[in-house]
Amino acid sequence: MAALLEVKDLKTHFFTRDGVVKAVDGVSFVLEEGHTLGIVGESGSGKSVTALSLMRLIPDPPGKIVGGEILLRGESVLEMDDEQVRALRGDRIAMIFQDPMTSLNPVFRVGHQIAEALRLHKNMDKKSADARAVEMLELVGLPNAADRAKDYPHQFSGGMRQRAMIAMALACDPDILIADEPTTALDVTIQAQILELMIELQQRTKAAIIMITHDLGVVADMADNVMVMYAGKQVEYGTADDVFYRPLHPYTWGLLDSLPRHDIDEKGQLCPIIGQPPSLIDIPPGCSFHPRCPHAKDVCRTRVPELVEIEPAHLSACHFSSDPAFRRAPVCAVDTEVK
Amino acid sequence: MSADKRLPNGPYDRTPTEPLDPSGHAVRDEATQLPVPPGAGEVAQSANRTLWGDAWFRLRKNKLAIAGLIWIIFITTAAVTADLWVPKFFASPTSTEFASLEPPSAEHPFGTDRVGHDVFSRVVYGARVSLAVGILAVGISLVIGLILGAISGYYGGLTDSFVMRTADVFFAFPYTLFAVVLLAVLGPSYRNVFIAIGILGWPSIARVFRSSILSVKENEYTDAAHAMGASDFRIMFRHIMPNAVAPIIVYGTMSIGGAIIAEAALSFLGMGVQPPTPSWGLMLSDARSLMIPAPWLTIWPGFAILTTVLAFVLMGDGLRDALDVKLKD
Repeated sequence: MAALLEVKDLKTHFFTRDGVVKAVDGVSFVLEEGHTLGIVGESGSGKSVTALSLMRLIPDPPGKIVGGEILLRGESVLEMDDEQVRALRGDRIAMIFQDPMTSLNPVFRVGHQIAEALRLHKNMDKKSADARAVEMLELVGLPNAADRAKDYPHQFSGGMRQRAMIAMALACDPDILIADEPTTALDVTIQAQILELMIELQQRTKAAIIMITHDLGVVADMADNVMVMYAGKQVEYGTADDVFYRPLHPYTWGLLDSLPRHDIDEKGQLCPIIGQPPSLIDIPPGCSFHPRCPHAKDVCRTRVPELVEIEPAHLSACHFSSDPAFRRAPVCAVDTEVK
Repeated sequence: MSADKRLPNGPYDRTPTEPLDPSGHAVRDEATQLPVPPGAGEVAQSANRTLWGDAWFRLRKNKLAIAGLIWIIFITTAAVTADLWVPKFFASPTSTEFASLEPPSAEHPFGTDRVGHDVFSRVVYGARVSLAVGILAVGISLVIGLILGAISGYYGGLTDSFVMRTADVFFAFPYTLFAVVLLAVLGPSYRNVFIAIGILGWPSIARVFRSSILSVKENEYTDAAHAMGASDFRIMFRHIMPNAVAPIIVYGTMSIGGAIIAEAALSFLGMGVQPPTPSWGLMLSDARSLMIPAPWLTIWPGFAILTTVLAFVLMGDGLRDALDVKLKD
């Protein structure tokens, strides 16, 4: 049987007045039933555009999926007509957005909004959809769900709204749940609760999750596989253990070194990656990370590294990853000046 | 899902530290000052107030808007029920049986005009024309303006340019002149007055609605609706419209005042309602040369126009504050 979701060489570009923005430029991955894929990277690395492309939600114009394939259970999403894509959205692939404060419609009651998805996709009548909406709110841990379903979003706190969003996304029992930085806008205490809730619900509903985040800690908790993106490209892909404990790509090292940790005895110093991500209109030649990479050599400035399998199921796009001696150095051991 | 008993109360059991309100204060009952258990307080406080309920609550606190509303209700009631009491206690608006130019008296509270009409009766019946023109003209503007504004704001691009440039053409003509030309073509009559005012009013409505839609469209809930699989039509009418409509309610209310003035002006110029139908503008026009010898002929219709237009503007102002979700208390 075909994998649940297979993405091959996906390219999404935006055609703007200033030039072509290659927001996603050749991304491939496979998502198995019930698994979790974490997509990490800085702002502007193409994480969200990848997710939106999966649902064909790229605003066109200026955006366009210019190449690649998206296969959902072997069915090509890119070849579907509008009607088929709409039937897919919310029903087979659902999405949770970053900011729960603005992603619920302020003029409708929360229960109504959850019921709407059910009525659109499951042909439920109003009464049973409303009842199911209350059930969903109970499922996501909202006390007094029956009463709260009649509330408006402004009567909810941020954490409660994100719970409601999760309820809405899971109402139709989707195969894939895309969570675009679902905890970024929340308090730290609530973040942990929401993640825990998502893990619990995943075990129950068997939905596959694509978790987009720039918080590596979030991914470490949840993901089976991790994809690290930089400037629209995949730089590393592997199991969560591989990526966290045996990272291959210098960019991943940089991300990990920028993370505060309590489990290793270091000087307690954080090492941020120096510099800014490149403009996606004007991507540096060669390896797009070379201007910020402390290990960059001449070859990095001229030749684009391929994403190759270095270890079984562990891919990296760096010229030196195949060298066993080229591995993550102790934190801050290398000079992080921009070369 | 009833299998798992832990879930419904889970979050509160696991982490009792979850802040109950944004500033982290414990929620206390207003009357007793005792801490309220999580969830319970919020439910009690939210007690099913609807958005319209909230708006009405805020509107009620605005005295000027309420004064406007009362005046609108008063004038409307008087105009609608005029047939029941005005001819019986005063006079029919078209009867000319009285002595001309009589000052106000018990029999004719607002006096009589040159032809011998009872002015009070004509002011009351004139309200019918003014209100009907105001509401119908704005109704026509709304239908055209909302549809074109919605299409323009939602689809953008060429469609947007086309609609907005057409609106600009309308704006480029002097308003009154355009109305006079339209009425010259259509022929001056009661019906054509509100058609003309209505047709001239749509560009403003379309502009206001378009900009409102543009700002609503940027909200994440529009993306969420797309991600849920809703169609363009559904997103437009079910998700965006209700959020974009508040400025239109405000603008529409104020436009009624504007349409009443436009009707008065057109009737004054003789391009509007034709005699013997009573209209405030027409009455002013007739009273022009008699302003000094018979001031009551000018004062009462003028007062009626002034107060009614003012009432709609005050009401619109109040609605603007009441419908602004950002001022939510």
